[in-house]
Amino acid sequence: MKKLSLMFAASLLVSPLALADVVVIGHSAGPNSITENQVRDLYLNRSNELPDGQKATTFEMASGDAVRAQFHDKITGRNDAQLKAFWSKQVFTGRGQPPAEVSNAAAMKARVSSTPGSIGYIDEADVDSSVKVILTP
Amino acid sequence: MKRLLQLAPLALAIAASSASAQSTEDTLARMQQQLDSMQQQVNTAKNDRVRFNGFFSTGVATSSNDAGFDGKTEKTSVADLSLFALQGTFDVSDNTQAVFQLVGRGAEDWDPVVEWAYLSYRPMNNLQLRAGKMRLPLFMYSDSLEVGYSQLWARPPQSVYGPIAIKSYVGADATYTMNLDNSAVTSQLFTGFTDETGTAGPSELRNVFGTTLSWTDYVWTARAIAGTAEVYIPSLAIADARALFLGLGFGYDDGTWQIISEVTRAEIDGIFADTDSAYLSVGRRFGSVTPYAVVGWVESMDNDDRTGALSAALDTRRDEYSIGARWDITPGVAIKGDVTHVTGFENAAGGLDASYVIPAGKNSTNVYTLKIDSAF
Repeated sequence: MKKLSLMFAASLLVSPLALADVVVIGHSAGPNSITENQVRDLYLNRSNELPDGQKATTFEMASGDAVRAQFHDKITGRNDAQLKAFWSKQVFTGRGQPPAEVSNAAAMKARVSSTPGSIGYIDEADVDSSVKVILTP
Repeated sequence: MKRLLQLAPLALAIAASSASAQSTEDTLARMQQQLDSMQQQVNTAKNDRVRFNGFFSTGVATSSNDAGFDGKTEKTSVADLSLFALQGTFDVSDNTQAVFQLVGRGAEDWDPVVEWAYLSYRPMNNLQLRAGKMRLPLFMYSDSLEVGYSQLWARPPQSVYGPIAIKSYVGADATYTMNLDNSAVTSQLFTGFTDETGTAGPSELRNVFGTTLSWTDYVWTARAIAGTAEVYIPSLAIADARALFLGLGFGYDDGTWQIISEVTRAEIDGIFADTDSAYLSVGRRFGSVTPYAVVGWVESMDNDDRTGALSAALDTRRDEYSIGARWDITPGVAIKGDVTHVTGFENAAGGLDASYVIPAGKNSTNVYTLKIDSAF
């Protein structure tokens, strides 16, 4: 019982971290900042160029992920069903393919840090030196 | 004893592992990392070089009589609304892609038909050149004509989408997109030919030339198209008839309201009907359910060119009223229900099955549709 209450207390301590803000991260050789509209255009297939002219590669968390929901709530204003419908239209009209999906923050950092011109997003608490934060929406 | 001996290595292993639990954990962690990076490499190769997507529809539709609106009669047939499509996108190089789309339709015994097979080349970010077999871009939804999941409706409004049987062509196009501040202008030039066997036997379009121009700010959309071709339909003794197609489209989608309208004119030299058509569709999203209403109209504008049996068969006038709803059950799957009332034939066949409508003296038909659309 004592263990349970300890776990409960711990979860209370942890939960504010779990609600930390999503940040947009980029490859170290990419631009140092980007606007919300530019990020939206990249994630909605309206543009494929970073502000510095590099060809952009975007990465997404998997559907159903809380950070993904927070990112899209702030940036594109679309939920998972709307995104699915949007991308199916892009794919089946030959206009493009959705961003590659990763399953967790570590994988997101690994893909972004190893792909020039890439951007992604993670929880602020997961930021480390392998990537740089280019926007806090 | 024998048993004990057999167990000995296991006991040893357990003892050894507990003694070096720390190093085993380290090894495991390292292996996990290696596995992760290998998995990523495999996924990268898979995602970046080749992608497969597909869509699927099935459903039932039935009609109050045999007028044949969208090919539907009193005999309910599940196969009529069923189709399965597979699309492959292959990255040939950084800016070159090969794309194919195979569609198998229940109404055609699932024989796979190639609807797309083209090579796409992007010499710069804003310019795309394509060559091969593609959809004829006559309408706003031509490219995703059969991708029910990407549309609000149970079927595209037949007043506009119905009269022209030819859906694909072989040729080339160039698309240039100009990104403005929070909006984009896209222009497209296309040329090619078609050679299809439709309901009226073989028909051909030669020397197709056309252009589209569209603008969007991602809420509002406006589109215009003009195209011309030479038409050959041997069964109707039509050869080298000049055809002209004009269309205007308009869309509004703010995430809650979805309003779409298209107005088109198709003219063809000779007896074949020249038609004007239009529709207006309004949908309103309530969470995962989007009810919609559509009003459509199509009318032949050259009735004076025909007499007698040809008049009855080809003179076209028809009004369509649809109400329906789309329900997004889960990302990737939607269920749709639709009731369409078709009327206003005015003593002709309404562009439907003249051999039924005229003798039966019908002036209306109702079509009921229940459908599942999926994309993956």
